[in-house]
Amino acid sequence: MSEERSFEELQKELEDVVARLERGDVAVDDAIALFRRGEELYRACVERLQSAELRIEELTPSEPRGDGA
Amino acid sequence: MKIEPVLYGERKVYTVSAFNQGVSRYLGRLPAVWVEGEVTELRRNEAWATVFVVLKDPKTGATLKVTIARRAFDRLELGLEEGETVHVQGRAELYEARGELGLRATTIERIGLGEHLIALERLKRKLAAEGLFAAERKRRLPRLPRAVGVLTGADAAARGDLVATIGRRLPSAKVVVCETRVQGRGAPVAIVNALRALAGHAEVDVVVLARGGGSFEDLLPFSDEAVVRAVAASPVPVVSAVGHEQDTPLCDLAADVRAATPTAAGALVVPDERELRAALDESRRRLRLAVSGLVQRDAERLGRLADRLRNAPRLLLERRRVALDHTGARLQALSPRATLGRGYAIVRARGEALREAAMVAPGDSLEIELASGGLGARVEDVRP
Repeated sequence: MSEERSFEELQKELEDVVARLERGDVAVDDAIALFRRGEELYRACVERLQSAELRIEELTPSEPRGDGA
Repeated sequence: MKIEPVLYGERKVYTVSAFNQGVSRYLGRLPAVWVEGEVTELRRNEAWATVFVVLKDPKTGATLKVTIARRAFDRLELGLEEGETVHVQGRAELYEARGELGLRATTIERIGLGEHLIALERLKRKLAAEGLFAAERKRRLPRLPRAVGVLTGADAAARGDLVATIGRRLPSAKVVVCETRVQGRGAPVAIVNALRALAGHAEVDVVVLARGGGSFEDLLPFSDEAVVRAVAASPVPVVSAVGHEQDTPLCDLAADVRAATPTAAGALVVPDERELRAALDESRRRLRLAVSGLVQRDAERLGRLADRLRNAPRLLLERRRVALDHTGARLQALSPRATLGRGYAIVRARGEALREAAMVAPGDSLEIELASGGLGARVEDVRP
């Protein structure tokens, strides 16, 4: 599961997977694959929430360059 | 009191005090006027009954001393600073002890505000005409930003409220803070640079402009054209939490979302972790329920197949047995024993079944097999 994908993309896919399974028009092999995918997505989402504490980074803007601003 | 000159022969001579007094009286007959000028000096002291102000004509550099009663000045609550342009109402006055001309003020009004307001309104119309504030330009905020960018002044309260709200709602959040100059000269450039730096940060998915309340002038940089344009052009969504509810700096209009306070902004930019987890858990519950429903449905179908499969050999066997029995019966019918049963007998000599009389001679012994039991016999005569 790539780091590039945003949380909402992952959560959206999870919801789509659930909706497909709930419709029930999938073969059992596909259902198992979808289920695995769903569990994977769930874990990926929860992982994004796992972090001990608020991280704060201080940023100092670089001096404006002569870009006409 | 009459001002009398001293006479030196023909010459009328006034003392300094008398002269000043005379001029002062003359000036006192002049009407009250309004004077406009830039405040170049302001001296106010709790111990003094008078506040001293020096006004300057920005065009010529001419100056005028203005005095106003401290109590009157304090009642105006201007928070006046040097460099501001004001209207002063008062009368000409001579400070007799020094012979200095001044203006005795009764009231002072700041006029910069009016000009600012007009300029602001003009800018607002111009930017609105360009579509900078259009509703369709507004972007949705990310549900879970990798990091929240915070642009703030040295304003501990606004920053503190915002960061605390973010931390409470989403303990795993990351905040990137850029502290910059937010008021006074140079603030617009600083804000634009800070905004660019934040929006350019690899993880920042949303930026909050967090600036607590302040006077109209203090908030002016957030209505600066360059700042407003930078907000509109920001590659990531911007939440404007500038000033108080009643203030509407132009950056509020250009931002994707406006928050009344830094705390409200905090609630907008990050989700509540508990709610998020609850939603995820609900998704997983439904996922499991759905898949187990499907599996159960298929398992039942499979179970029925298995039953049929298990029963199949037994059925087959039975069918075979019936067929076998049938064949057995037919075989039975062909058996020699069945023939013996009808009264036939098998005669053997020397172990061989006899088919011709000539195979034996009188006196040979014979074995006769019957349906039940057998006989030993001897040949008496042969009739070929």
